Amino acid sequence: MPLRRLRTTFERLARPRRRESLPAVLDRHRIYVLPTRFGMFLAALLLAMALGALNYNNNPALLLCLLLGGAALASLLQAHLQLSGLEVHAVGGDPVPAGSPLQLRVHVRARDRRERRGLRVECLGAAATLSLEDGAGEAVIAVPTVRRGWLDPGRIRISTTRPLGLARAWAWVWPEGAALVYPAPELPAPPLPVGDGEGAKSRLHQAGDDVHHLREWRSGDARRMVAWKPSARRGNLVVRENEQPAGMDVVLDWDALAGLPYERRISRLATWVDQAARESRRCRLLLPGQPPVGPGQGAAHRHACLRALALLPDGG
Amino acid sequence: MRTASLPHGVRARVLLAAATCLLPLLLALPGRFALGVAAACALAAVLSWRGHAPAWLKLALVLLLGTGAMAAMGWRFGRDTGCALLATMLALKPLELRAPRDARSLLGFALFAPFATFLLDQGPLSLALGLAGAIAALAAMQRLSEHESHDPRPQPATRHIRDVLRLVAAGLPLALAAFWLFPRLPAPLWGVPERALSQPGLSDSMEPGGWIDLMVDDTPALRVTFAGEAPPPSRMYWRGPVLTDYDGRRWTVSRLAVHAPPPAVEPGDTVWDYELEVEPTDDRILVALELPHAAPAGATLTHDYDLRAQRPLTSVTRWRIRASPPRRFEAELPPQVRAATLRLPEGFNPRTVALGRKWREEAGEGNDAAIVARALAMIREEFAYTLATPLPGRHAADEFLFEWKQGYCEHFSSAFVVLMRAAGIPARVVTGYAGGYRNPYGGYWVVRRMDAHAWAEVWLEGRGWVRVDPTAAVAPERIYDTLEDRVGTGLRAFPVIRPALDIGDWLRRGWNDLVLGWNAARQRDLFRPAFGGRAGTRALVAAFALAAVLALAWMAWLAARGAREHDPVLRAWHRMGRRYARLGLGREPHEPALRWAERISPALPEACARELRALSLRFAHWRYASGRRDAAAMRALVRDLRGHRPRTGDPREPTP
Repeated sequence: MPLRRLRTTFERLARPRRRESLPAVLDRHRIYVLPTRFGMFLAALLLAMALGALNYNNNPALLLCLLLGGAALASLLQAHLQLSGLEVHAVGGDPVPAGSPLQLRVHVRARDRRERRGLRVECLGAAATLSLEDGAGEAVIAVPTVRRGWLDPGRIRISTTRPLGLARAWAWVWPEGAALVYPAPELPAPPLPVGDGEGAKSRLHQAGDDVHHLREWRSGDARRMVAWKPSARRGNLVVRENEQPAGMDVVLDWDALAGLPYERRISRLATWVDQAARESRRCRLLLPGQPPVGPGQGAAHRHACLRALALLPDGG
Repeated sequence: MRTASLPHGVRARVLLAAATCLLPLLLALPGRFALGVAAACALAAVLSWRGHAPAWLKLALVLLLGTGAMAAMGWRFGRDTGCALLATMLALKPLELRAPRDARSLLGFALFAPFATFLLDQGPLSLALGLAGAIAALAAMQRLSEHESHDPRPQPATRHIRDVLRLVAAGLPLALAAFWLFPRLPAPLWGVPERALSQPGLSDSMEPGGWIDLMVDDTPALRVTFAGEAPPPSRMYWRGPVLTDYDGRRWTVSRLAVHAPPPAVEPGDTVWDYELEVEPTDDRILVALELPHAAPAGATLTHDYDLRAQRPLTSVTRWRIRASPPRRFEAELPPQVRAATLRLPEGFNPRTVALGRKWREEAGEGNDAAIVARALAMIREEFAYTLATPLPGRHAADEFLFEWKQGYCEHFSSAFVVLMRAAGIPARVVTGYAGGYRNPYGGYWVVRRMDAHAWAEVWLEGRGWVRVDPTAAVAPERIYDTLEDRVGTGLRAFPVIRPALDIGDWLRRGWNDLVLGWNAARQRDLFRPAFGGRAGTRALVAAFALAAVLALAWMAWLAARGAREHDPVLRAWHRMGRRYARLGLGREPHEPALRWAERISPALPEACARELRALSLRFAHWRYASGRRDAAAMRALVRDLRGHRPRTGDPREPTP
């Protein structure tokens, strides 16, 4: 279809033609303005009326027609000016597992005090509204994610049809990799592998059976945990602490999952990292060709692991 | 992107805009029909508000109103029928108002209404209402676009109106440049459809009682500017259609005269040189002072010396005419004209015919002038002028001459001509306007539609056609105009109102001159003095191009100027910041006022820095401190901010 081909040709030629580093300023070289369908309809309408008015030398009709045409033309210019001078200074978002929408934030500011409201920001088929307050604003777009790795937002389109809806002005911004997408977790999740590494050590656990030692009572300890006999002996309250043998480091080893396909392995490891984080267990991630991640615990460690998994090369 | 339905606020705005567009069109259509359309439009709006209307109801309304439109126009198809149908469609269009898309098509369609109005009427009221409609439509488009952009904070309606006015102002110079300089068509490519309902006015026929509406209509028909001497009002006879044929009831233009060339006229010495500005009549009838020397370009003279335009006068037109009172007008009367102007229908007005024959017998052959004088004397003594007349029966002239003895120009001229013909004197009825009113502000004469008049012409041996005005013999003041005599109780009765009305008419004439009467010929004349002929057209195109470029530059400047800061304090503060920015000491966008003052202080002389710090402190207090805002303090702050000038000079030396 020639129209579609024209469109792809145009999109190939449109600026920017390659990824750019932010901040990107929208200037007149990269803002495009074309009439909307309604704009074309109105233009045809006005043209017909102007022709009729010229033919009948009906001056009031012609004057009204020209006034409307002038206002429409000025609205084209205003649509252009809604974008001109905008500066996209950051694009980013918190990582999410592949498959769930990523809240991509597009941060925009403008140096002049022109009012800019209701701009539409589109990225990968999702859209959000952007209004600038005091010269700055951000749009949060729920971008669908498909696969792990750096999210390529492609060309983000910022557009507006204001003020009259007669013309659409738009500009593209093509930032470098903006946000990370973690591997999709495997569902249902298989249980964590039992920790057996060299770092295994006992951990204290109240629900354990073996009495480990006694310590002083602290406020908040349950009454049944008080060791009454030793307390009576010492003259102050002491509490029993028990021990559980399960508190060992979890080792998540790439090579231990040799039977699974490549991406399944990544998914399973990601699931386990999450599970370990949920259960607050220390874990260590062993990946081929990389130094081990961890052992560690906590949010930062979880992100480090998932990031390593997300950035594994493609294929196998 | 389509949203399922329109929120009420947006819908109300769209409906209001459509109604505003429809209003001038309804005012230009017949009253009862217009009321019906307005009611249907209200019904459609309510139904659209409630949800959606059933299909059978839509169909029924369309059929009902469509039939109504045709009936109101007397089942004829003309320009006004088209406009009435358009009004019908527009009134019912809200029935399918659901999505923003429907709203847009309704608005686009609504914009047709002012255009249709201007095809019917170009008066100032129509213009003002049409402009209001267009602005309302643009504002509604803006509201729609705002709605579609999902802006969580919609603007108030006044803001929309202001924005639209700004847009119009930005486009105005371009529009005006195109209006005056874009080359116009010298002749239409296709003709203007006629109206189905004609307006009351001069026409090719006259029937008893037919002019009553016209005689109370005080809208202007002509405006006349004399170059040089103006004739006295008693000699201002604006000659229009000449009615020769009489069937006992109707007077009509002689078909014979239309295609024959004008007869020989020997003009008198007085010459009146004047320019006529004729309000649109949708007709070809033109009037001129008796008698024009030649037909102006675009018009022709018939055998009766009746001026006809070549095209219907659908807009304001201007005609330059020279005229002189005739010394001899068709001194040689061709036999068929003589026969036509003596013919009387059989079996009508027996008493008048008998009276005419009696007078002829008493006067003898060849003494036509005495008979005319006798008739005028009779009328002067026994007759009176009134607009309140009953409808005549079969013998209209008899009833007038022997029973009522009062009437207005139609009766006088008609009965007089019948009497003359019965006496064997060739005579005919001439219609047109008589008199005029001089506008003291513009120095031009206004002839109103109520000045329409009918008089008689009799043919006398040696002199040809001579004007005789029997009505003037009775009531000269009713003819040669002074408006207050005619409608003594109207608005004009108040002495204060009159100058206002005169000034209003003078403005209206200026508008006619600059806008309504603008056409290809006048455009050509614009550059003719400097460049002749073809070079004039090229100069026109060049002027248009230049003006368009300037206008576009203006548009760009106005649009790029950005929104003006509304707060006077902020405006003064920003302006002061720009003064510093010129020295390279501008405030960073996110730098607080006080920190900025501290930062640039070392670069300024001591006194200036102190002043700047004090000012920024006051500004920060004003802007961020809670509590009451004192108007006087605000004005003082604005004044000080405006007055402050950065002084450079030796920056303070750091103390060693």
